[in-house]
Amino acid sequence: MNTAEFPWLTTIILFPILASFLIPFIPDHEGKTVRWYALGVGLLDFALIVYTFYTQYDFSDSGLQLVESYAWVPQLGLNWSVAADGLSMPLILLTGFITTLATLAAWPVTFKPRLFYFLILAMYGGQIAVFAVQDMLVFFLVWELELIPVYLLLAIWGGKKRLYASTKFILYTAGSSLFILIAALAMAFYGDSITFDMRSLGLKDYSLNFQLLVYGGFLIAYGVKLPIVPLHTWLPDAHGEATAPVHMLLAGILLKMGGYALIRMNVEMLPEAHVYFAPALIILGVVNIIYAALTSFAQRNLKRKIAYSSISHMGFVLIGIACFTDLGLSGAVLQMVSHGMIGASLFFLVGATYDRTHTLILDEMGGVAKKMPKVFAMWTTCSLASLALPGMSGFVAELMVFVGLATSDAYNPTFKVLVLFLAAVGVILTPIYLLSMLREIFYGPENKELTDHEVLVDAEPREIFIIASLMVPVIGIGLYPKMLTQIYDAKTLQLVARGRELVPTLTRPNTSVKIAEGIKFVEQPTQAPAIPSLEASK
Amino acid sequence: MEPIYQYAWLIPVLPLVGAIFVGLGLISFNKTANALRQLNAVFVVSMLGAAMVLSFVLLWSQVHGHEPFLRTFEWAAAGNFHLTMGYTIDHLTAFMLVIVTTVAFLVMIYTDGYMAHDPGYVRFYAYLSLFSASMLGLVVSVNLVEVYIFWELVGMCSYLLIGFWFDRKAAADACQKAFVVNRVGDFGLLLGILGLYWATGSFDFEVIGDRLQQLITSGTLSVGLASLFGILVFLGPVAKSAQFPLHVWLPDAMEGPTPISALIHAATMVAAGVFLIARMFPVFEGLPVVMSVIAWTGALTALLGATIAITQNDIKKGLAYSTISQLGYMVLAMGVGAYSAGLFHLMTHAYFKAMLFLGSGSVIHGMESVVGHDPALAQDMRLMGGLRKYMPMTALTFLVGCLAISGIPPFAGFWSKDEILEAALTANPLLWIVGWLTAGITAFYMFRMYYATFEGNFRGNESQLRQQLKTESNEMAYAFGPGAMDPKELTLPSPSQTSDHNAHTHSSSPHESPLTMTLPLLILAVPSALIGLLGTPIDNFFEGFIHAPGKAMEVMETAAEFNWTEYLVLASASVGIALVGITLASLMYLRHQIDPKAIADKIQPLYQFSFHKWYFDEFYESVFVRGCRRLARQILEVDYNVVDGAVNLTGFVALLSGEGLKYLESGKAQFYALVIFVALLGFVIVAA
Repeated sequence: MNTAEFPWLTTIILFPILASFLIPFIPDHEGKTVRWYALGVGLLDFALIVYTFYTQYDFSDSGLQLVESYAWVPQLGLNWSVAADGLSMPLILLTGFITTLATLAAWPVTFKPRLFYFLILAMYGGQIAVFAVQDMLVFFLVWELELIPVYLLLAIWGGKKRLYASTKFILYTAGSSLFILIAALAMAFYGDSITFDMRSLGLKDYSLNFQLLVYGGFLIAYGVKLPIVPLHTWLPDAHGEATAPVHMLLAGILLKMGGYALIRMNVEMLPEAHVYFAPALIILGVVNIIYAALTSFAQRNLKRKIAYSSISHMGFVLIGIACFTDLGLSGAVLQMVSHGMIGASLFFLVGATYDRTHTLILDEMGGVAKKMPKVFAMWTTCSLASLALPGMSGFVAELMVFVGLATSDAYNPTFKVLVLFLAAVGVILTPIYLLSMLREIFYGPENKELTDHEVLVDAEPREIFIIASLMVPVIGIGLYPKMLTQIYDAKTLQLVARGRELVPTLTRPNTSVKIAEGIKFVEQPTQAPAIPSLEASK
Repeated sequence: MEPIYQYAWLIPVLPLVGAIFVGLGLISFNKTANALRQLNAVFVVSMLGAAMVLSFVLLWSQVHGHEPFLRTFEWAAAGNFHLTMGYTIDHLTAFMLVIVTTVAFLVMIYTDGYMAHDPGYVRFYAYLSLFSASMLGLVVSVNLVEVYIFWELVGMCSYLLIGFWFDRKAAADACQKAFVVNRVGDFGLLLGILGLYWATGSFDFEVIGDRLQQLITSGTLSVGLASLFGILVFLGPVAKSAQFPLHVWLPDAMEGPTPISALIHAATMVAAGVFLIARMFPVFEGLPVVMSVIAWTGALTALLGATIAITQNDIKKGLAYSTISQLGYMVLAMGVGAYSAGLFHLMTHAYFKAMLFLGSGSVIHGMESVVGHDPALAQDMRLMGGLRKYMPMTALTFLVGCLAISGIPPFAGFWSKDEILEAALTANPLLWIVGWLTAGITAFYMFRMYYATFEGNFRGNESQLRQQLKTESNEMAYAFGPGAMDPKELTLPSPSQTSDHNAHTHSSSPHESPLTMTLPLLILAVPSALIGLLGTPIDNFFEGFIHAPGKAMEVMETAAEFNWTEYLVLASASVGIALVGITLASLMYLRHQIDPKAIADKIQPLYQFSFHKWYFDEFYESVFVRGCRRLARQILEVDYNVVDGAVNLTGFVALLSGEGLKYLESGKAQFYALVIFVALLGFVIVAA
């Protein structure tokens, strides 16, 4: 068999979904066999992903690879076409990794295990499909389909307010994804040819007003998912009610879909509108960072606190996307991957802590470090990772976004200074809420009310293993970021180079002319290699 | 010599390996790892010992004129952006490596005695080793980003170590405060780095300096903006070296175990700020505004620390304020361009202050056997006195430290402090006056501390005094606890965290500490007394070795035109004021001829001002801490009521209108036709 011809991505997507249909037929008692089955399927699929990218994928190529296309409904021009490039590849890897670990994190689930693992496996394939499909209509379909397992996982295994939370989640996200459908149809029918293929759509020559409209529609849909303040309120509720494994999927992967789609569609297909919307994205990003950091600080519920911290971290993705520099976009992708792991680890720990304390209210905890030193150590490590401690991936991502924005020549200095200043305030706020949280849970004298009623056992090997598996790549990337950035570098470079062609419309040489000249004066030596390549691509 | 340089990266890596091994052992085989207490310690100490030997070899090679060594690799890249990391060995690095490794090595030996009975003994060694690795990494850093990385890592180690006794509420508050205040500094440092990169396109210290000068002379970059970047970068050292106004974390950091107060919060990490200014010297020296900001911040801090130290009763807090004050001297030196003088003081201070802190630890260790493991009692000088009889070694070394810090020749502090004062006088007489006055106050409070601790009668058994101090400490905890967000706090029985050990006190008199503690003290006493001789004005070996980049010629010239009369006048002035301070202290606390209480009562407002640390904590608490909390809570309210409210309202309206509309579904076709007709009519009218 020719390995290059083998439908790798389709197999990766369909394998967990097909495997999930076998679950009802597995002889099982209290979910003990099913969980091994699900874990095995997850591991196999993850191994397949790693193998595929290792052997079949060329990191230096910026184009789509592993392309497969089959006519699905020819009458509609609907094709099942999947492919991967530098943008989707890291996220597919992340999905396989996080979902497998989430399966392991779901070990204690005893309520309706068959349905639970069925949904988890169905989600596994659905999520990868979102990152891999190259057909606009299919993208919309899988985007919607993947909501259903989440809805059920929330509504059946959630906390006390699970019905409210899951209804809010489904209405919010399904409502917003209507915009995807409308925008996709509009793009498909624009011009002479009708097509749903993303590459062909990207090549169409849209008028500016049309681009702006479509961009706005996409922004609402993906803004809900990412989320962008003020479209974020579903997230604290959904996160507040979800169980740990669902949490890991929500924070680790679902939020990344927003960022991914924003880059894939808004930046790649609508570059001219992106030039107009970029400053707004930056402002929204800053608002995200500060607003969510403050709300997280005031939150007294642990889950909601971490949920808001996720929103805060996603602000850096928005800023990175809108930088018009290689470094900025690269930082945005890195931040998505990095937060995928850090966010998942924090939410897993929240779940593990709740299993022991049976409360999420910070006021009811305190001084539990003595009974659970290992849990304490894991919490400290993950919190430090989340507050962008150097040596861990979060720092590299934020630094890249910061430097990317600082060196961006697309904005005037006053705007940049203001944005950088405010984003850097986030750097102060993050440790405030995370360390306060640690202090209130673990430090200080033991809270007798809690320790008298609950048996606080220290972490078991399974939990340590999950956190260790998440932290090893986080630290690895932090120590040597090139390890990850070089695998998607070609793609982000190409995207930025394309975006930059359109940038001059944005540069308004005003305010301090002297400084603007100053940049050119010094940037010439460093920027020199970029200029020929820019011109060449014209 | 080349192979040594090839393997110089081992210096930070060796302690890191030690930390990782012990840390992994703790996580995977907790019981076994904790049981093998001293085996772990020996492992960690020998790793650091190897790093120390390497550092000495490097220093020796540098002294003998080896070329600076640089090795880099590409760390991050995106497009045409390339960021390299690596390590460099030059004069400054070799010198700092030796200071850090020697102090860390001695502190680790001391730790064995000090933490002998602590359940967290092994964990403490892991943290210490991790800190040493980060600090050594900071020292060998080649560019600003690498400095920033290790800068934050030493901050993290400091956080972990201050909060080492995590069941003490005060420690929990202190470690968070330290991290957050340092993040405020890092915020400035980060913005400064970004600004400088934007302007010059480089992270290298010297490249930035050169290009910045080019930009300024060609007029493309205004001096104001360049200075702003410089000041932002300087914010980093302000926080890390506990300079005004971000000094507030250092005294609280004394909640950590004493060995780390000596290592991190006296000798190495807090000096990192001065080190960074030295590294950034090529950038700063071309910006007069920045230089004067640095100089004045240093002078103000020196004075502030000294005036507060006078009234402190906690022996470690007193030393902490003294550290702040001495760091102020170093920063002042940097600000007036006295590069080598500042670093010279960094070195002498590292040795004598580490010794003083370890000495205070020894005192606390001795006191704990009398008053129990309560920091509010064991560290209070009002309960000490007469300890010289019980712990002669500690007393002797402490005295050497006091003489060194007071600037009595020939002890180390004299030479370095004098050099700074001399440079300050040439820069601005006002700076000299501040430094000179501070020198007098320093001598006074150090000897106050010495007399109160080691002379007179032992007061540790006065139960009434104990009780009084205990109530005081409880009140303090209520008044200043930064964790006021927790409403339960007020109902907690005892926030001062008197641990359970309190009851069993072994004896009625303190004892001398074990050899593992006194030996490091004695070893440290040697450099504290003698190392200043490296930098005497007659033969300034130190200045010949450590001088600002590109300043070699100037050093030679200044050495040539050395003015003896001027030097002697200045030196006698500073020794004179130190002697005045010591005499005053002995009159008040040794001979009791002057009653300090009467003076305090007479100048009550001033006394309170000093006692309450210039009211910084109160001010920050009410403005920043509470302000931030209030803002956060208000935003959360908005989030709940307005943003989420709108969402819920939408849902509610949809529900209501659906409920309302269902009554219109009568099933009669005529009615639907009517509705359609009216709607059409409406459209036509609007369209027309």
